[in-house]
Amino acid sequence: MEGRRIQGDALGVVAVAGEMLTPFGYGTQACWRGLMEGRTAVSKIERFDTSAFQSENAATVEGLKYHGTDSLVIQMLSRLFAEADAVIPRDALLIAATTKGEIDLLEKKLLAGQRDFNGYGQGLFLQRVASVAGVKDKGMLVSAACSSASAAVARGAAMIRAGRTDCVLVVACDSVTEFVFSGFSSLMALDRVSARPFDADRSGLSLGEAAAWLLLMSKDRALHEGRNVLGEVLGSGMSDDANHMTGPSRSSEGLILALTKAISSAGLSAADIGFISAHGTGTLYNDEMEMRAFRVVFENARPVYSVKGAIGHTMGTAGLIEILIALRALKEKQVPPTVGLQRPDADAEEWVSTAGRELPGRVPAIVTNAGFGGVNAAVVLY
Amino acid sequence: MICCGIGYINRNSGWKLILSRSGGSLSDAAAFEALGRGGIFSYPFKNFARLDAASKMVCYAVALALKDAGESYAAETKRDIALIGTNAEGSLSSDITYFNDYLDGGRKLSRGNLFLYTLPSSPLGEAAIHFGLQGPLYYTMSAESSVADMFESASDLLLEEAPAVLAVANNENEAACFMFKGDGSREGTVASEDSAMIAAIREKVDLMDIAETFLLINEDGRTVK
Repeated sequence: MEGRRIQGDALGVVAVAGEMLTPFGYGTQACWRGLMEGRTAVSKIERFDTSAFQSENAATVEGLKYHGTDSLVIQMLSRLFAEADAVIPRDALLIAATTKGEIDLLEKKLLAGQRDFNGYGQGLFLQRVASVAGVKDKGMLVSAACSSASAAVARGAAMIRAGRTDCVLVVACDSVTEFVFSGFSSLMALDRVSARPFDADRSGLSLGEAAAWLLLMSKDRALHEGRNVLGEVLGSGMSDDANHMTGPSRSSEGLILALTKAISSAGLSAADIGFISAHGTGTLYNDEMEMRAFRVVFENARPVYSVKGAIGHTMGTAGLIEILIALRALKEKQVPPTVGLQRPDADAEEWVSTAGRELPGRVPAIVTNAGFGGVNAAVVLY
Repeated sequence: MICCGIGYINRNSGWKLILSRSGGSLSDAAAFEALGRGGIFSYPFKNFARLDAASKMVCYAVALALKDAGESYAAETKRDIALIGTNAEGSLSSDITYFNDYLDGGRKLSRGNLFLYTLPSSPLGEAAIHFGLQGPLYYTMSAESSVADMFESASDLLLEEAPAVLAVANNENEAACFMFKGDGSREGTVASEDSAMIAAIREKVDLMDIAETFLLINEDGRTVK
């Protein structure tokens, strides 16, 4: 789309802080280390009976109480923001990204035969997120299936570029619950043991849970406040396959459109992109669709990796985890291995690796996500 | 941005093409369901009966908005039109349906055809497939003014990402879909005219009231900017 990018340095959007809680524990550092060491956090679920399902495994965060007083996501966010160290300004606009939010609270009510849903709902969820995050704004929710977090980052960046605000806090969270696990099992989407993204013998995804936050600011404000900049959100692109509710487009048309828009909006060409953080769920169709899209858009191979073999598919949180890891990769000038990969699919051979790889320098990166309903999102970082 | 079509439907009373000032009545629930089989869509909607209630409501509203805007569509002819939506309860009704069905099955059998509607964005996904909408798609909801904030999202999408946006708001009984296009005149950042329009909407909660606000603006001879 010609001329769609508003140029101008003052309208630049930068990420100035962020953190995550994943099945590897608290912190981007813990997750990065787990990835670089090639470890997986996927293990047997103790939280509920899995005997009726395709798999008994997922990647869960230690120490959470299931069906306790607080939802799993609020427990994770409380732990996360307790360490936030006053870096988040009170006037930040809040965007929360999730697919199922506090669904375990609804589970608890339905299991008890309750028909009164007081104490549960999106409005209450937003209130709780705003409270633990310590922001005044009452917040908005963005939900785009497993592209929720990327869509939220894209929305927040757009708000800053449009001059609506100069600071956005994106918070993402999702949890492994019987509700979600049973659903993915019903769709035959789970690997029996552990996800193997882009592997020739892959057979499904592993679910995971996580919470994360990312603070976006206008370049002007970040400079004025002397903020450390993790990276810049150069551009983004979103699309829908408009093809099937659960199966990705066989032509990869939707993701190709999202990638093309994102790269164009960043003022770059495809050749400029140094590495790709893929959605890489480990399902036959998603990984095939993504690799086809990458081959069409990028022509020549470049490093591609997925984190989902390590921490599982964290659903609405995935995009934010992957953006934070990509920002870390930019800083370290290296990309992690694709955990779970043993023998790359023929289409992915020159792109993915079982080992970490050095980068030639700081290069633009693109993070891709896809989800049910055919949603696609791509975010360009530098 | 310009509002070029508004579709409204109420399951208890009828449907309207707001800017075209036309519509029809619905006598009962059966008539509401029957709309899907005749007239409202340009061509048969595959498996419409299997959609959940929210998806049917959203798809009806989108069809009406496109008709009001004079826009033809075809599933095979995909267009870069964004589709965003809001409501108050997310996918709560479908969540309850799915999980109760799972519990009734002794926690041994979960149904994928029910699970896939347990995302607030699923109704939008169904609409995207039928109407060939390949642009950005997401669900949004705000603590304070969901519809107005959705219109702000539409404005920003037009500025940066899509030539047209369909924005749908629905509840259990009604839905309204607004089709927006960029007016191509902006070069800067916030379009103050859009802000004025959105501010006027922000005070309203009734969908029909919001829809009729656009009608008043158009009748003044001004575009909705």
